[in-house]
Amino acid sequence: MISAPDVVAFTKEEEYEEEPYNEPALPEEYSVPLFPFANQGANPWSKLSGAKFSRDFILISEFSEQVGPQPLLTIPNDTKVFGTFDLNYFSLRIMSVDYQASFVGHPPGSAYPKLNFVEDSKVVLGDSKEGAFAYVHHLTLYDLEARGFVRPFCMAYISADQHKIMQQFQELSAEFSRASECLKTGNRKAFAGELEKKLKDLDYTRTVLHTETEIQKKANDKGFYSSQAIEKANELASVEKSIIEHQDLLKQIRSYPHRKLKGCDLCPGEMEHIQDQASQASTTSNPDESADTDLYTCRPAYTPKLIKAKSTKCFDKKLKTLEELCDTEYFTQTLTQLSHIEHMFRGDLCYLLTSQIDRALLKQQHITNFLFEDFVEVDDRMVEKQESIPSKPSQDRPPSRSLEECPIPKVLISVGSYKSSVESVLIKMEQELGDEEYKEVEVTELSSFDPQENLDYLDMDMKGSISSGESIEVLGMEKSTSVLSKSDSQASLTVPLSPQVVRSKAVSHRTISEDSIEVLSTCPSEALIPDDFKASYPSAINEEESYPDGNEGAIHFQASISPPELGETEEGSMENTPSQIDSCCIGKESDGQLVLPSSPAHTHSDEDGVVSSPPQRHRQKDQGFRVDFSMENASPSSRDDSCEGFPAYELDPSHLLANRDISKTSLDNYSDTTSYVSSVASTSSDRIPSAYPAGLSSDRHKKRAGQNALKFIRQYPFAHPAIYSLLSGRTLVVLGEDEAIVRKLVTALAIFVPSYGCYAKPVKHWASSPLHIMDFQKWKLIGLQRVASPAGAGTLHALSRYSRYTSILDLDNKTLRCPLYRGTLVPRLADHRTQIKRGSTYYLHVQSMLTQLCSKAFVYTFCHHLHLPTHDKETEELLASRQASFLKLTLGLVNEDVRVVQYLAELLKLHYMQESPGTSHPMLGFDYVPSFLYKI
Amino acid sequence: MSTLCPPPSPAVAKTEIALSGESPLLAATFAYWDNILGPRVRHIWAPKTEQVLLSDGEITFLANHTLNGEILRNAESGAIDVKFFVLSEKGVIIVSLIFDGNWNGDRSTYGLSIILPQTELSFYLPLHRVCVDRLTHIIRKGRIWMHKERQENVQKIILEGTERMEDQGQSIIPMLTGEVIPVMELLSSMKSHSVPEEIDIADTVLNDDDIGDSCHEGFLLNAISSHLQTCGCSVVVGSSAEKVNKIVRTLCLFLTAAERKCSRLCEAESSFKYESGLFVQGLLKDSTGSFVLPFRQVMYAPYPTTHIDVDVNTVKQMPPCHEHIYNQRRYMRSELTAFWRATSEEDMAQDTIIYTDESFTPDLNIFQDVLHRDTLVKAFLDQVFQLKPGLSLRSTFLAQFLLVLHRKALTLIKYIEDDTQKGKKPFKSLRNLKIDLDLTAEGDLNIIMALAEKIKPGLHSFIFGRPFYTSVQERDVLMTF
Repeated sequence: MISAPDVVAFTKEEEYEEEPYNEPALPEEYSVPLFPFANQGANPWSKLSGAKFSRDFILISEFSEQVGPQPLLTIPNDTKVFGTFDLNYFSLRIMSVDYQASFVGHPPGSAYPKLNFVEDSKVVLGDSKEGAFAYVHHLTLYDLEARGFVRPFCMAYISADQHKIMQQFQELSAEFSRASECLKTGNRKAFAGELEKKLKDLDYTRTVLHTETEIQKKANDKGFYSSQAIEKANELASVEKSIIEHQDLLKQIRSYPHRKLKGCDLCPGEMEHIQDQASQASTTSNPDESADTDLYTCRPAYTPKLIKAKSTKCFDKKLKTLEELCDTEYFTQTLTQLSHIEHMFRGDLCYLLTSQIDRALLKQQHITNFLFEDFVEVDDRMVEKQESIPSKPSQDRPPSRSLEECPIPKVLISVGSYKSSVESVLIKMEQELGDEEYKEVEVTELSSFDPQENLDYLDMDMKGSISSGESIEVLGMEKSTSVLSKSDSQASLTVPLSPQVVRSKAVSHRTISEDSIEVLSTCPSEALIPDDFKASYPSAINEEESYPDGNEGAIHFQASISPPELGETEEGSMENTPSQIDSCCIGKESDGQLVLPSSPAHTHSDEDGVVSSPPQRHRQKDQGFRVDFSMENASPSSRDDSCEGFPAYELDPSHLLANRDISKTSLDNYSDTTSYVSSVASTSSDRIPSAYPAGLSSDRHKKRAGQNALKFIRQYPFAHPAIYSLLSGRTLVVLGEDEAIVRKLVTALAIFVPSYGCYAKPVKHWASSPLHIMDFQKWKLIGLQRVASPAGAGTLHALSRYSRYTSILDLDNKTLRCPLYRGTLVPRLADHRTQIKRGSTYYLHVQSMLTQLCSKAFVYTFCHHLHLPTHDKETEELLASRQASFLKLTLGLVNEDVRVVQYLAELLKLHYMQESPGTSHPMLGFDYVPSFLYKI
Repeated sequence: MSTLCPPPSPAVAKTEIALSGESPLLAATFAYWDNILGPRVRHIWAPKTEQVLLSDGEITFLANHTLNGEILRNAESGAIDVKFFVLSEKGVIIVSLIFDGNWNGDRSTYGLSIILPQTELSFYLPLHRVCVDRLTHIIRKGRIWMHKERQENVQKIILEGTERMEDQGQSIIPMLTGEVIPVMELLSSMKSHSVPEEIDIADTVLNDDDIGDSCHEGFLLNAISSHLQTCGCSVVVGSSAEKVNKIVRTLCLFLTAAERKCSRLCEAESSFKYESGLFVQGLLKDSTGSFVLPFRQVMYAPYPTTHIDVDVNTVKQMPPCHEHIYNQRRYMRSELTAFWRATSEEDMAQDTIIYTDESFTPDLNIFQDVLHRDTLVKAFLDQVFQLKPGLSLRSTFLAQFLLVLHRKALTLIKYIEDDTQKGKKPFKSLRNLKIDLDLTAEGDLNIIMALAEKIKPGLHSFIFGRPFYTSVQERDVLMTF
């Protein structure tokens, strides 16, 4: 039903159409159109007027002394681009004025011609009728055979959008100046070469003439000169004069002010050249001379020839081409630079502007960028920062100033307690030990540590995990574990029967259930932990898993204080390096809750019966850590490689930078994205880890990922819980037979996966061997092959074993097994009724929503009063309720959305605390929350 | 035509202008293309300074260059083209507006130019649009005046039988002077009072310990929300320069660096006058506690404006972009028509058009209360004060907020682009857009649309094109049926 206000628009429109606003007297050419898009078909996307070219291009033109203004070449060199656009006419328009009107030639009072090193002029002009607007960069090159030795050229960036050129003027100017400098440097080199050749010719001519004159002199015995002799003498004089003139020119071109070079942004080749010169100059006795001479010396041996003394003006012969004028090497570099410019400014202005704004704003967000931003951009920023402040890496950390003024990290971690993100278990943290204390402890521990004994206790972890139907979580951040009290840590280290967590295999015999336990074992902050302790990161929970080499790191749960059961622990052999001991939270499950097992000295019993123990760490050498780390990677890869060659690169994103070969090898596994492979091949040698497909650095990948994500959302009604799993750090396994389909979906869903660090997302696109518990620490999204053969049964068996801890999306059966999701965040992110049509648009939508999410996580992480008790007597429960209230009321989060923000906040904290962010796996989380099976 | 021309250079008429502050402008020139002699300079305006940076000869030389090549001019009827020169050899930048006009029976090409030192390039570029818009409009009027002169001259020649061409030829100059001087004053004021590119958050309201410390919570929310809804274009008035400038800086935090450079702080002792086209400007009330905004100039601003009074904590805003542009063009057309009809110079005074043109009755009550509430700014303000001040946390959070806005704006543009096949089809699913992009709150949509308008000019007019008075809300209601 249409009410009165609804028809207002129509009535008003009619009114206006009837209005007598057609003041007849004013000619339209003196007026302005009433509507911005008055013309038929005009809209914000249409070109202002009918341009005859299809997209922006670069035109190089010359003012030829023979034929006047003429186009030389276009970039791209494709007639389809400029279509029927009249290049000749436009060249005439842009080259008809000499904006660099400077004197070149014989200045009054000067005996010799002078070269004037004119600066480039930049002009923006247009042809509104043709719908062509241009940034024109005028430059002058030198040519010995040209009039006044100069050849005026220009490079024009031609676009149908006038605003684009003005808004990008400074960027265009800077880029074209680079290209111009490149051309001019090559030209000076070539010009000097020409001069030298000419000088050699003149020298040779002089010698010949001199000889001839001498011969004539000797032959002449009449006492007077013949006309022939006089002619020869005049010619000789001309040659002499010409030699002096050319020597002067050579001197001028060699003395091109170096300050100009220094002031400009030069092309790389040019810089190298100049650096070479500098180095060579330093080894010679006369640096100035040598540098200049080298640049302008003619390389190949040249055979001089006899020439006429008078310079021939070349009206009758072909002028040198631009390539000949500029030296092929420099010319090629210039073309490359121009192609780069064309590529850089291609497309709609709105995308150019937003990408520039994006970049500027991202630079201010060092803390959160790693979560969802593209790696290339982040890496660029990092490199930039490294270059700008190499000696102060700590300045990379955002509020460096604030660290002194307000110790945010301490607020978050170093203070007494840490509240689990989920309700049940509190993990108490205590004050951090000083470095010295740690070192003392380590020595003791190394000598007294008994792996086997420790193992026995540790193996207790996994048993007795009886289903209770309650949600239980233990959240232990290794970072937090560094805040041990002195007495605790000493005791734990001297007494081997401590509830330490050893990196070893563990056995679990949980008898249940639909419940899950969450153990968040985060890596320590290197900022808070002495160097010697930075070793024991990788941690995992092992359950009934046999390790081929026994090197796998694992966290052992001790679910009760019951004595170790050998039968259960036999598979859980100790790690080879006993010193590699990780920390974790150990809980004892009692009456449905985990209770920390261990000697009384290390157990803190809360009044409510929840016992928590501060995670403890053992000393380990850095080297040991590295060795272990690589072995750790070797192990799963050996498993995986039985079916596929997924080496360290995919197994550990942090290794991406460390091993180029591996990266390259692994790239082949992404052969479904050919452009990706090729792009990686070109960049794998540098630091930009664009190798990672989930990095989605190219628009094409973004578009494809967005499109596939959109399909997934529309196709699967249970997309929300699946995406929730990814956002909340619960590993999602995509199971399917067809590798291509699985890979496609994994790539699509990867856009929802928060990263650990700057380099790669924790996504494994394809695995064909049984998953190991470690995999869930490393990867948050895994594509897993379903094999029909008996061998494949192992894979499924392993998966079913971990099914309580992971979400499983079965593509073949169209089912999803994961916890319930009732939030409001994901539906806004992934609405199956969305009218978004294109993948690229959906990608943008996801990006903006995730940025919003990051923003919430940022506030929650750094809210100054939220993580500390407001007064001494404030209990942890009160603190927790305050946090919950904040999440709900201030951030507007409901139900499971809270978990998402909490997980992101954990990642932020961890990332913020690390000296080398992203170099380790942050946490291993398991949910003891009921899972549901969704079917289509 | 040559008989009407002033003598050749260097005897070019010159107006020297006394400015109170430093003038970044070296000179302004008016040149024309003489069919016999080529480019000729007609008039020079230069600031009165002790040190002459450019001689008249140099100015003439440069001005001639602006018309060089214009013999090949190929423009649409009525077009006013902009040329921009950076002549490093001369160390100057020149902005020229080239147009065709009829003057005393001859159709010729003219150029109105301003010359600045090259060192002012980065200062000038953010102000380019403001300068060009203002000079363009005066050229529109000047062209009409030139055309009318010819008719009048012909009539006078017939009636009086005398030739008074020389006198008549000068009459366009005062009109141009009427805009060249304000442009010089604007640049001069911007030189001394423009908002810096980098704003220290400590100088803004966002550094307060808690929301409401400096100003009322609702007022701040309204001010920022409306500021964003009007494309970042706001006028802040008040009696205390300090208070005004604090709000100016606060609002500028939500602008890009270039837009900040196109914003102006309030002068401490005497007030600047309102300048059309600046993003944010602070203005001081007079001793009676009032400030008069010139209707015409507010209408000619490229974007609608938010009016913020820090004394009484009121926030008013102009209608959205498409309505503003429509009103603006109506006003321009009326002004030009009235100018065309005017019979005496008195009739041509700039602000009298609304009285002289009886058919034009603009809605003078252009500033309205902020009707549409948003969730974006509200959530931002609720959250930003939870972060400890004095650190970079709030700056980071602000940057995140702006990033969200920009990304949403780009998504919105892309959404419309997809839906309309780049404008080939009309847009008809605003309701879906709001749901799909999570912009169901009217204020949120306004903010994102305003941001998108800046990135993609004409978006409002394209979407709301014909029913020009239909607000977003009304449009949405219509679309539900």
